[in-house]
Amino acid sequence: MPDPQLTVEDLYVRFPTSRGTVEAVNGVNFTLEKGQMLGIVGESGSGKSVTAKTLMNLLPRTAEVDGNIIFEGDDVRAVAKERRKHFWGVKMTMVFQDPMTSLNPVKRCGEQITETLRYHLGDDKATAKKKAIDLLEQVGVPEPSKRVDQYPHELSGGLRQRVVIAMALACEPSLLIADEPTTAVDVTVQKRLLDLLDGLRRDRGMSMILITHDLGVARGRCDDVAVMYGGRLVERAPTETLFADSRHPYTEALLRTIPRIDQPSHTRLEPIAGRPPELIDPAEECAFAPRCRYAQPDCLGTIPPVGGVRGQHEFACFHPANTDRGRQALDANLAAGQTVTGLQIQANAGVN
Amino acid sequence: MARFIARRVVQLILVLLSVTFIAFGALNFLGDPLVNIVGPLAAIDYCDEVEAGLREDSYTSINNSRGDCEIIGEAKADFGLDKPVIQRYFTWLGNIITGDLGTSFQTQLPVSEIIAQKLPKSLMLMVMAQIIALAVAIPIGVYSAYRAGRAVDRATSVASFGLLSIPNFALGVIVLQFFALRNQWLPASFDDTSIGTRIHSLILPATVLGLGIAATYQRLLRTDLLTTLQEDFVHMARAKGMTDRHIMTRHALRPSLFSLITVFGVSTGALIGGSLVIEGIFSIPGIGSEIVTAVVRDDFPVVLGSVVVIATGFVVINFFVDLLYTWLDPRVRAS
Amino acid sequence: MTNSVAFTTVVDDIDDEALDDAFKKRLGFGFWVAISWLGLVSLAALLAPWLPIADPNEIANGAPRDGILGDNFMGTDALGRDVFARTIWGARISLGVGFLGILLGIVVGGAIGIAAGYFKGLTDQVISFVVFSLLSFPSLVLALLITASLNRSFLTVAMTLGIVGIAPISRLARATTIQFAEREFVQAARVIGAKSRRIIIKELLPNVLVPMGALTLLGMGISIVAEGGLAFLGLSVEGEAISWGKSIVDGSQTRDLNQNSHVAFVPIFAMFLTVMALNFAGDRIREYTDVRETAF
Repeated sequence: MPDPQLTVEDLYVRFPTSRGTVEAVNGVNFTLEKGQMLGIVGESGSGKSVTAKTLMNLLPRTAEVDGNIIFEGDDVRAVAKERRKHFWGVKMTMVFQDPMTSLNPVKRCGEQITETLRYHLGDDKATAKKKAIDLLEQVGVPEPSKRVDQYPHELSGGLRQRVVIAMALACEPSLLIADEPTTAVDVTVQKRLLDLLDGLRRDRGMSMILITHDLGVARGRCDDVAVMYGGRLVERAPTETLFADSRHPYTEALLRTIPRIDQPSHTRLEPIAGRPPELIDPAEECAFAPRCRYAQPDCLGTIPPVGGVRGQHEFACFHPANTDRGRQALDANLAAGQTVTGLQIQANAGVN
Repeated sequence: MARFIARRVVQLILVLLSVTFIAFGALNFLGDPLVNIVGPLAAIDYCDEVEAGLREDSYTSINNSRGDCEIIGEAKADFGLDKPVIQRYFTWLGNIITGDLGTSFQTQLPVSEIIAQKLPKSLMLMVMAQIIALAVAIPIGVYSAYRAGRAVDRATSVASFGLLSIPNFALGVIVLQFFALRNQWLPASFDDTSIGTRIHSLILPATVLGLGIAATYQRLLRTDLLTTLQEDFVHMARAKGMTDRHIMTRHALRPSLFSLITVFGVSTGALIGGSLVIEGIFSIPGIGSEIVTAVVRDDFPVVLGSVVVIATGFVVINFFVDLLYTWLDPRVRAS
Repeated sequence: MTNSVAFTTVVDDIDDEALDDAFKKRLGFGFWVAISWLGLVSLAALLAPWLPIADPNEIANGAPRDGILGDNFMGTDALGRDVFARTIWGARISLGVGFLGILLGIVVGGAIGIAAGYFKGLTDQVISFVVFSLLSFPSLVLALLITASLNRSFLTVAMTLGIVGIAPISRLARATTIQFAEREFVQAARVIGAKSRRIIIKELLPNVLVPMGALTLLGMGISIVAEGGLAFLGLSVEGEAISWGKSIVDGSQTRDLNQNSHVAFVPIFAMFLTVMALNFAGDRIREYTDVRETAF
């Protein structure tokens, strides 16, 4: 089996601040095969965006990064130090969540696409403009030859995100990282944009990392899904496995927050109790324990290591859901009416 | 656009009315031009009383000669000073509309001629100062924002803070001493021989003025750039693999120029009237020096004419600054 | 995006938020250095008559045009007057007119600005228009118009500086007032039927005064500089009275400046350090109280 296109090994990212060190990413490992789509799912502060920014070399200078990132044989962190030309934007690129702010308000849309082509590929003005119009057509922007001369504020949110996508795809990158690409646009536009991205990816044989807080977005599009919590990867599995047979209680809880087609439409969606974890100098314990219905004394002693089947279904939990250990833990907690961290739980809530 | 200009013109007219009224009032309230026309004669009050019929002009009858009161009366009539202040203001205003700025009490020259002679020197000083300020502040501002928190940035922050604390006359004196007197590298005073000598002799004063403004520009630009650099489109440009230089100059700079442009307008407007003090230190016969002389001599027409020019310049410059905003940000164009 | 992680900056720069946090907690060492210098200068100015220094107006106190660290500590000027003594006595008038000027500017400008910001409507329009007109004069021209025909005593010079400050200060006061007048606590006071005067004094004034505190320091620096500008126009305090501005002008005559530059440079240095201390302390207080707008 050939090497994966992207390998992330033991990635740590820390930000020293006056209030303490923010441990944003804590030992994340994953791989991505060429042409595949990986979903990274987690809530605010889970470290998913920081992971993406580390890949893209977009972290502030104060960030302390440790670990290995190998992309198509290149050590990405070494590339970052050399500031190598024509790496980001050509091999690897990224689109951000808010199309309103991702486009420079004072530059014409066309120029924002052509500047990439002209810099990386050395195209002349006319060629670049023609390519830009082509690209806009490919991403489904109507009247592309008119749009290239327009300013971003003259376009709707959906169109702007298409321009951003065209911009990112200009130099035919082999990996596209999409950070919540649809959160800022209309719900009706969301699906069309995601389908567009998926289609473009397949046509071009491009790999993609889709970062989202919404498991539903990952479903049906991503090959694999990685769930992050408190700067750690807590579960990773092929998408169907994850949806059918999740192990980590956090994944289970996340699944309950999305509507499901196989359940009656009035089924109550369960919010996850508690608050996101503290990232500044966190305690040596499972970060999810305070919000976990399965939490046991051993969850507070050490951080659960990543277990399961390597490369297939990995998870970091001592009492995984949908296993005997997990059921025992949950039964015990239900009997007590609360978990070891004092979280009140009730029997009727959420039988999976 | 037409409405925009129309609004500006109305604003200009209102400001001119108010500014000239304030100047007119201040001059009349605080000084008496007669003193400077006929000399400091104690007889002015005396003659006022004679005129008002409060006493008889015994002086003229005793000496049987052309008395002071007669001279004063003639002067008053010549310069229209025998009319009430308000009436004089409106007469003056009427003349202005026909393009007549009046005649100097002191030199008897038309005010427009005096201004035409003095203003270009001040404008030249202003243009040179602004060129120096922008040429210094923009590269340094961009670089210090790019290297925020590092040694170069800290050093320039200290330097610009220091510059802001040096009054321009103090910097002028120091520069004059070092570059013109001790070392005689550059001229100490204005040389009107040719365009070349004019520029050459304005280098020092323009640098003094320019550096002071540059410090303000640098600080504003750095702050605005740091804000812009947090924008998503800058992340995006980096994700596209554009170079730092390209990002700083082609993406971040233009949206970060607003505060700088605003202050540019204010300082340009202020410098249209020349820098009173710097023109004095470097012996530049510009409009600033002219105002100082005219105010001290209660030369009303010259003061008022200059004030009109300055206030007009201020409003007009700020009009162009507003146009610049629309060039900087297409979103302003739309609204 | 994470909330807890500070993605403040992008193109290779520092995490400023961490620095800001550290700064906000205290005023910092530099602030106290600046305040100490201001204290020292003020004290010297107040105590000048009793300090063991030369008579500043005594001609031929030392040999004329004596350099620094000669017989006289800071040398002498063209008339043999002691430069050190003159600089200390100069502080009396420079700091005096600076302080009095800005005080006047703040009291009058503040009152006008608060009135405009609070009452809005016609009051605001009239005041704003006059303020805009005044701002169309370069400030020295305005000062010039006022001082030219007055006898130039300590008080009239201070008054002139104050009047020049009124327009920009009132603009700041207006902006701050508008900002606070929208806040809930002022709205609440209005709803329960409090009188305007009471709202202004009890609710608005304390809040508007905080930024004004920083302005006092910054504005005093500007006033001190403006006195120097007036001195160059020959319009500072008349007679034998000594100010930094007048001392600098004295030392700026071509012959003195060329051969005897300390006569100008000593008061320039004193003024520079003082203005810088005022700016620094003012800036710190402004950041400390977090007010963005400046009047100047």
